[in-house]
Amino acid sequence: MNLFRSEEHISRWLGGRKPGTTIPVTKLSELAHAWWDDRLSPDWVPHTRDQNMAILDRLGLTGEFWTLP
Amino acid sequence: MDEADLGLRRRTYAFLVEHGRAPGAEELGDPDDVLDGWRRLHAEHAIVLNPATDELRMLNPFSAVPTAYRVAAGARWWYGNCAWDAFGICAALHTDGRVETSCPDCGETLTVEIRDERPDDESLLFHCLVPAERWWDDIVFT
Repeated sequence: MNLFRSEEHISRWLGGRKPGTTIPVTKLSELAHAWWDDRLSPDWVPHTRDQNMAILDRLGLTGEFWTLP
Repeated sequence: MDEADLGLRRRTYAFLVEHGRAPGAEELGDPDDVLDGWRRLHAEHAIVLNPATDELRMLNPFSAVPTAYRVAAGARWWYGNCAWDAFGICAALHTDGRVETSCPDCGETLTVEIRDERPDDESLLFHCLVPAERWWDDIVFT
């Protein structure tokens, strides 16, 4: 899960490997804030799968790649 | 996850935030009891232990060991486990911050300021290699 300057850099870094998925850093920031916002809360309890899927869905991160087990 | 393990997790994270580093088991109580609790939390994916040493490896989004993702936030430097977690450190601390890393392809330094939950350089891209279904197969690789 890395940051890159451009698609060209990602392609070169992948070499012959199968790509995963790429999103803009702005979307990553939205995702990180939604996912980790409560991590230091005294009331924290583990997110359920449905809660985490709801975060992904809300941000438009859908499809097989983003489907949690 | 019972209340005792949630409490241990809270104390573990609180130590990290207060001291800027992950605790050793002996710093949180009886080492055997703490390790037993950490192993249960590890099994629940609430923390990540180094399997070879039983030391803390990840208190997600924080890394307990140096990584390629350095984060300045809340008047300290932290390490994130990956780009997602680096941004997550600002989220967890509810603060602005700065992520410093390098492009895995060319090695160019990449610095991102995060203000009000938004990155200042919107041109960068995030690549996730492993599909969500397999993230926890090998979380360190992921």
